[in-house]
Amino acid sequence: MLTRALWLLLRTGLAAWLLAAAGAASAAPLVISQALTVAGDFERFPEDAAATREVALPDDWSRSRPRHDGSVWYRVGFDLPAGTPPEQLLALYIERVCTNFEVILNGRRIHSGGRMAEPLTRNCHYPQLITLPAAWLNAQGNVLDVHVKGSAVQRVAARQRAAGLSALQVGLQTDLAELHAERLFWNVQSVQAVSVTLLVLGCFMLGLFAVNRRESALLYFGALLVGWAVLSLRIWWQDVPLPTAPWEMLGCTAFAPIVAFVVQFLLSHAGLRSRIIEWGLLLQCVLMPATLVWAGPARVFVAANAWYSLLALEVFAAMGLYLAVIWKQRRADFGPMLFILGGAAIVLLLEMAVQLQLVPLPRLQLMHFALPLLFLAIGVRLLQVFAHALQAAEANRSSLEDRVKEITAEIERNFAQLSELRVEQVTEKERKRIAADLHDDLGAKLLTIVHTSESERISTLAREALEEMRLSVRGLTGKPVRLADALADWRAETVLRLGQANIEADWRGPAEEIEHLLPARAYVQTTRILREAVSNIIKHSGASHCKVRSSVGERDFGLLVQDNGKGIPMELDGKLDRGHGMSSMKHRAKQLQGQCLVESGPGYGTVIRLTLPL
Amino acid sequence: MNNILLLEDLPEIRAWMKALVLQVFPQSLISEAARVHDALELITAVKFDLALVDLGLPDGSGVDVVAALRESQPEAQSVVVTIHDDDDHLFPALQAGAFGYLLKEQARDLIAEQLKRMSQGEPPLSPSIARRVISHFAAQTRPQERPQNMPHVALTDRENEVLLRVAKGFTLPEIGVQLNLSRHTIADYVKQIYRKLNVSSRAEAALEAQRLGLFRR
Repeated sequence: MLTRALWLLLRTGLAAWLLAAAGAASAAPLVISQALTVAGDFERFPEDAAATREVALPDDWSRSRPRHDGSVWYRVGFDLPAGTPPEQLLALYIERVCTNFEVILNGRRIHSGGRMAEPLTRNCHYPQLITLPAAWLNAQGNVLDVHVKGSAVQRVAARQRAAGLSALQVGLQTDLAELHAERLFWNVQSVQAVSVTLLVLGCFMLGLFAVNRRESALLYFGALLVGWAVLSLRIWWQDVPLPTAPWEMLGCTAFAPIVAFVVQFLLSHAGLRSRIIEWGLLLQCVLMPATLVWAGPARVFVAANAWYSLLALEVFAAMGLYLAVIWKQRRADFGPMLFILGGAAIVLLLEMAVQLQLVPLPRLQLMHFALPLLFLAIGVRLLQVFAHALQAAEANRSSLEDRVKEITAEIERNFAQLSELRVEQVTEKERKRIAADLHDDLGAKLLTIVHTSESERISTLAREALEEMRLSVRGLTGKPVRLADALADWRAETVLRLGQANIEADWRGPAEEIEHLLPARAYVQTTRILREAVSNIIKHSGASHCKVRSSVGERDFGLLVQDNGKGIPMELDGKLDRGHGMSSMKHRAKQLQGQCLVESGPGYGTVIRLTLPL
Repeated sequence: MNNILLLEDLPEIRAWMKALVLQVFPQSLISEAARVHDALELITAVKFDLALVDLGLPDGSGVDVVAALRESQPEAQSVVVTIHDDDDHLFPALQAGAFGYLLKEQARDLIAEQLKRMSQGEPPLSPSIARRVISHFAAQTRPQERPQNMPHVALTDRENEVLLRVAKGFTLPEIGVQLNLSRHTIADYVKQIYRKLNVSSRAEAALEAQRLGLFRR
């Protein structure tokens, strides 16, 4: 529709320019601005009536015949404009005739606007283009009668619907059709287009409200738009099956709920709410039709305009309050809303001025075209806000989703860690249980053997078995040991044992701090190897001095145990090996991927070199 | 040593221990118990000079007996006699107030010697126990968490020095030589360390109990 409007504008502008350029090539339409007129309900123009008088067109009944309601006949005479090509179609163009009319050319009825009795066909907003049949046209002395039926301004709610007849134009049908189309567009079609837009947008707003019940501003605005679209019916619905009086009252009454929606929309958009105002608006919706009925059809205009003034004041107050609130809240809406509401206020003031006859009827539909455009602007703004909110919500949702994903992943990770920990705990518990069982059961029995056996040999074997068991259990339950701690334990035990056997001990280790960890198994096995070596020295070597050196490298650590005893006799090497436990020492070192070297010779003691990986 | 408590569940070992104790302290009067419950009853009835306590017993842990004895008869010396040589088992007993420990499977002569030394105030201290003591005192020096009425037990520099050296694997006689201290003085330090371990552990246990709301102030 907008393109059509633009195109029309362009076309009229272009046409005017072309016309000017061509130097008015074709004949200009004949404008008739004088007519004979008779008021009264006649079948034909009364030839003999004494009341016939001359009026200027446009004839506004409120000026020429105040309070007259019903029929008025107009008669004009015209000659065909000079230079009219005979084959061209001629037409009569009436810019405004209100409420309905019929046309009689040279005594023949050539056009009727619709029903001429109540309920009248309402043509107030429709420009009329009537083709003049060439056969019934004379070159000169044509008589054109126009029969108009209308209402006194007192009986309608708006001046736009008060009876009247504009100037008549006779000219080429093609020229006048353009004028007619243009007028029709601005008077009716633009309103229709805007109404449809309002209706769609209003339904959309109501839909938005339906899914988002907290935004009551959407409800009121949607209701306002739909209400306004329905109200616009008055402009273009010609054949309303209602007589003028109830129709006028009905249309007037419709403003009460619409103003209620406006006020409620502004208040709720500003975040305000007042029960009193709500009840007041509701009461107004009842009071307004009541007062109109009470005033009666003859005073519709006065009553309606009194109400309109009150409603306008209410709207202005709501606007002021709204703007004050959003100014205080420093909302970004303030600028655009000030502009839009200011425009609306100007439109309302203009319309009131029209009704009070301070300004002539505008050629633009103020209430039904200009105002809805401002509504649309508000709607667009609301949609923009809504879209922003939607976008923000979407962003929130996606960030929330990410967060949920993150947390889920974290929970899964934690759960995996927990179950790992749990497996470790269960394993640890089981190890401890086995260790405790071994101690309580096997340990107690071995201990009994140790202390009750008659044989020293058996008691020693049992003690060794017990020791083995304990070391195994420790290997089973053990956590890694710091190498420094292990060396300290070994040193303490070795020095103590050698001391008790009266063998001088000389143990030196690395001076620096050692941070390496030793697996429990390696700790236990090394303890056994060392213990075995010390036992050998105590039992077999006859040494008086024992030197131990510990060293820690990058990947391994070493122990060197050297005594000054008699060494292992060559010939007894293989045989004694078992008793000395050399092979078990070597075997244990091998199990740990290390090695245990024994150097011995009669006379120069024994050297055991133990190297184990870290 | 007059009154001695012997808590051991295995009859053969108990008999063997009794014989050994009688060998070391011929004049002593030995009360025998096989269960924690019996030992706790004996404590209420008899005043002991020495208690030899096994840890793993059918109806509970010997640690409870050690704690009860420390509570009711502070002068009595508790010695843990156990098959467990690891400090996970020994340390709680030492915290509860045990004054030393004997390993059951050791040779009779060795046990007798150690028992005699302990009765003379020379308790043993292994590197792993020393490390546990160090970390115990390191962990509990958080004065802000300690209520006013809780005693704050700290080791002296000398005691720390001895502990550190033991933890590094030096024997008590060696440390005596290094620090130029008599064997008797070193033994005193070790006794003091055991005593402080017990006091601080008890304070900690009370604090923990309070935290759990077991009793109200």
